[in-house]
Amino acid sequence: MIQRMTPTAVILGAVAILSAVVFVVIIWPNTTVDMTPSEIFRERTAEEAAGRKLYIANGCVYCHSQSIRAFDWGHGATRIAQAGDYVQDEPILLGSARTGVDLSQEGGEHPDDWHMAHFINPRWTRPNSIMPPFEHLGMENLRLLTRYIQSLGMQAADKRMQRQAFWKQASTKAYEAGIEANVRWLSETVPQGWRDIPTPYAASDYSLARGRMIYQGFCIGCHGPVGDGMGDAQPHIYPPPLNFTILKGRGISGGLIYYQVMNGITGTAMPYFKKELESQKIWDVGNFIAAYFIDELDANGPPRGIDAAYEP
Amino acid sequence: MADHAAHALEPNPTARAFCLTSAFWFAVATTAGLWAAGYLIAPDFMANIAYLQFGRLRPIHVNLVLFGFVTPGLLAAAFYYVPRLTRTELFSQRLGVLTAWLWNLTVTVGIVSLSLGFSQGREYAELVWPVDMLVVLVFALVGVNLIMTVHRRREPVLYVSIWYVFAAVVLTALTYALGNVIWRPDTGALLGIPDAILLWFYGHNIFGLLLTPLSLGVAYYVIPIVTRNPLYSHTLSLLGFWSLLVVYTHIGTHHLLQVPVPTWLKVVAIVDSIAMVIPVMAFLINIWYTARGKLGEIHADIAGKFIFTGTIWYFFVSIQGSVMALPQVQRITHFNNWTVGHAHIGVLGFAGMIALGGMYFILPKLSGKPLYSRFLADLQYWLVLIGITGFLVILTTVGLIQGNAWFNGETVYRVLPEIHLYYVLRLSAGLAILSGAYIGLYNMVRTLFFNPGVQA
Repeated sequence: MIQRMTPTAVILGAVAILSAVVFVVIIWPNTTVDMTPSEIFRERTAEEAAGRKLYIANGCVYCHSQSIRAFDWGHGATRIAQAGDYVQDEPILLGSARTGVDLSQEGGEHPDDWHMAHFINPRWTRPNSIMPPFEHLGMENLRLLTRYIQSLGMQAADKRMQRQAFWKQASTKAYEAGIEANVRWLSETVPQGWRDIPTPYAASDYSLARGRMIYQGFCIGCHGPVGDGMGDAQPHIYPPPLNFTILKGRGISGGLIYYQVMNGITGTAMPYFKKELESQKIWDVGNFIAAYFIDELDANGPPRGIDAAYEP
Repeated sequence: MADHAAHALEPNPTARAFCLTSAFWFAVATTAGLWAAGYLIAPDFMANIAYLQFGRLRPIHVNLVLFGFVTPGLLAAAFYYVPRLTRTELFSQRLGVLTAWLWNLTVTVGIVSLSLGFSQGREYAELVWPVDMLVVLVFALVGVNLIMTVHRRREPVLYVSIWYVFAAVVLTALTYALGNVIWRPDTGALLGIPDAILLWFYGHNIFGLLLTPLSLGVAYYVIPIVTRNPLYSHTLSLLGFWSLLVVYTHIGTHHLLQVPVPTWLKVVAIVDSIAMVIPVMAFLINIWYTARGKLGEIHADIAGKFIFTGTIWYFFVSIQGSVMALPQVQRITHFNNWTVGHAHIGVLGFAGMIALGGMYFILPKLSGKPLYSRFLADLQYWLVLIGITGFLVILTTVGLIQGNAWFNGETVYRVLPEIHLYYVLRLSAGLAILSGAYIGLYNMVRTLFFNPGVQA
């Protein structure tokens, strides 16, 4: 039997096997894959396509997947990827690692200025990020990259971008009307029920220590180490990050802070954190901000419910 | 079967050139890898250097390891053993040396283009069209040289190592051209989901049809010589060879189990991933039974030591790979460092160890003198072994942390501080591998060029 393994038999046999397999696992599926565009599909603009080229050239695909899996619900996913989402992608950029976050539906999650600050140095908006800074690409390229990122999610992203644009206008107007008007706007956009409740937990040393950790990991890049809104990202963001030190005596309740941290302020660079921070962590960071930067605490004040079991 | 004669000089400038190519790029590739690992710990250190940033270093590292270090190292041994096994001379040393120069040109152009941002953005298929052409050309030149050598053989029976070399060189030239979509030079890609299917067919074949057959060829050649035992079973070598070609080529879609590709294709990929046990165990049983009772001989021979260790990693990485193809397992292991660990033990633990062993086997024959330093070779062995074991433990651990945290609903960002320490540990393990690479380069250069040893 071994004598039959002539060079011709080996090479032709190997090529024959490869051809048969290519037919089964490449050609056949290629002819059966459904290439119908999905319901959110739209074509990319020239600027978005240029941004995508930068995304490829700089290896973004090695850390960012664009592939939301059926069980990524727990991960906060809002939509599972479908074959029809990818019908204009050449190459397709599914990615193989989530060293960073999945970007399938990133478009419209943040306004453009957040992305610019984040590209210049990711730690300015996300203090624990390990993404490389991309300032070296130059502002024009970063603008194009931002266009591409904002298009991810296609029609769904466009809707989110419209929402961003609408609230950007409103928040800018409020900011430019001065401190009084801005604080009033920031308060009035929170439902009354939330504004009425104080932080239900005492600002214990433990709570403040935890809040400090959260602040350093999530807030410090924009609001700065002393809470005056002069973090590293500040020059790139408009309306600029809120200066907490001006809030004393302006009726800022724990519930109001909680709501803004949880839900974010769409249109501004303030993201929503409910995906990343559980309830206790949000209350704790609110306590930290109120205690250290506003110097006005309503923690554990009236109206009070039944004290939680652990409370001293 | 050739005997293990002591250092009779066998001039083979082609094998020598491929040895040096491999040793050199191993050092460069691990440097790139270590540099990239540093960015994961301190992203603002040496930042904003366009051609060095992580997204460009990563494909440079991977392409250098695949096409700079492991493949040329395994081919160096092939350029030595194919003429020996066919009792003839290499068809053309001149063509061989030219191929080695072209190979280095291809690798250099490849990494320079990647560092400048010329990339197709497809893993293992990043190189742009002109470089693709060079890659196909060098594989064709290697193929012509070896096929013509075999054509002029004076030994009628083709030993199993030669089957594997032929399959590797011919099939890789084909799948490389196919996987890089060379008929679409602008993007080197297809459109949409079919692009993903083709990419991972090709990507997996870089291991299945290039590194694996070349590695098995070296092991099949060296282990019987080192142990002075005849090959345990020719039937098993036939089974292992043909089943490898049939099974391995089917499994690429196991990279896409959670992607909207046709379900039947996923089923094929999963079933064949499990069936990989057949070619893997056919080879391992064959080699391990050949080495039966001769572990002392293997331990005494540095080449045997590297290669036998490589077969143990082959066992581990293959079983791990089969298990990772199970959808329930992959929910946790996909998208994180578990897979990075898997890739490292496959390419360095298995194929890289065997490439190093193959080179240590032929170096004394190429120089006609003993190895410059057996101590340094042993040191390299332990540094690489400790490094790669560290990689497996660290990356598997951090992969489990990431995968389980995500599955538990935590975001990627929340897990980053938790895994920082593991990135530091991983860098330390990488330092061991890097040292091993430079020590090996020094030892190999001294063996070939400045070797004080007495010529036999």
